[in-house]
Amino acid sequence: MILILGGSYQGKLDFAKSAYDLEDNDIFICTDETEAIDLSKRCIAYIDRFALNRVRAGLEPADALRDNPGLRPDAIVIATDISSGVVPVDATLRAWREACGRMNNLLAGRADEVWRLFCGIPQRIR
Amino acid sequence: MSTFISGGCKNGKSYYAQRIAKASGAPLYYVATMIPRDEEDEARIHRHRREREGWGFVTLECGSNILACLERADARGSFLLDSVTALLSNEMFPAGSTDPTAPERLAGELCEFVRRAPRTVLVSDSIYSDAMLYDDGTEAYRRGLARIDRALAAVCDNVLEVVSSQVIVHKGGLPL
Repeated sequence: MILILGGSYQGKLDFAKSAYDLEDNDIFICTDETEAIDLSKRCIAYIDRFALNRVRAGLEPADALRDNPGLRPDAIVIATDISSGVVPVDATLRAWREACGRMNNLLAGRADEVWRLFCGIPQRIR
Repeated sequence: MSTFISGGCKNGKSYYAQRIAKASGAPLYYVATMIPRDEEDEARIHRHRREREGWGFVTLECGSNILACLERADARGSFLLDSVTALLSNEMFPAGSTDPTAPERLAGELCEFVRRAPRTVLVSDSIYSDAMLYDDGTEAYRRGLARIDRALAAVCDNVLEVVSSQVIVHKGGLPL
């Protein structure tokens, strides 16, 4: 599994597409309405948005990955790093921020490669 | 040699950028991007000007239309543009209105600036990693700044991230 991290708009999806030769139909785009991820897709983009949906439902997003480790061995997971701002006043956003941290740690621990994008430039950090 | 620097607030980006600009030995220009809107801004500008005293910078006031300031300078000089963030704010939100075309235009102008004045150091801000859901205007600003950052990172020789005064090289090398 490959994990691609970085802040918003840093070029994570563009990098995934070009580095791993992805077509649009290889990619599952999560939104905050995503209740379940299509694990048959090779690339799962913006898993942080899926996490926001789970947190709003009172669930732990990392559990969906821990209990159902159905990620393809060649999966590419894209996660926006939301960890570096001010602690949100809103309790749901606060829970989301912490849940994403746990989820990213879990994913990074399983990943064969971890990349971080900065201004469109990829850096391999694992 | 052109250098693009970004990173979090108060991590030492501006100080490092000043040192790079100074080290080139060429005539030094400071491109002042802030358009003061109140007394607080005036005080901030005054403080920054005092901090630069003794460095030998000629200050070019240029809050918008950034290429115009090259007509008042020697393009072979060393330019410090601090910051891209302030410049986009001036261009995107002039006098309370919103110009959604500003990021695309400014990305083009700044890349042209670097082409004409190759000894330019630009400073931007990483505002992309917080757990907030912003209104559409703020989100468009973040997307716009990232658009410019990525364009500048593609054309500049060096791309650096400053973290607690430590420098991570993402492209090129350490200018100092």
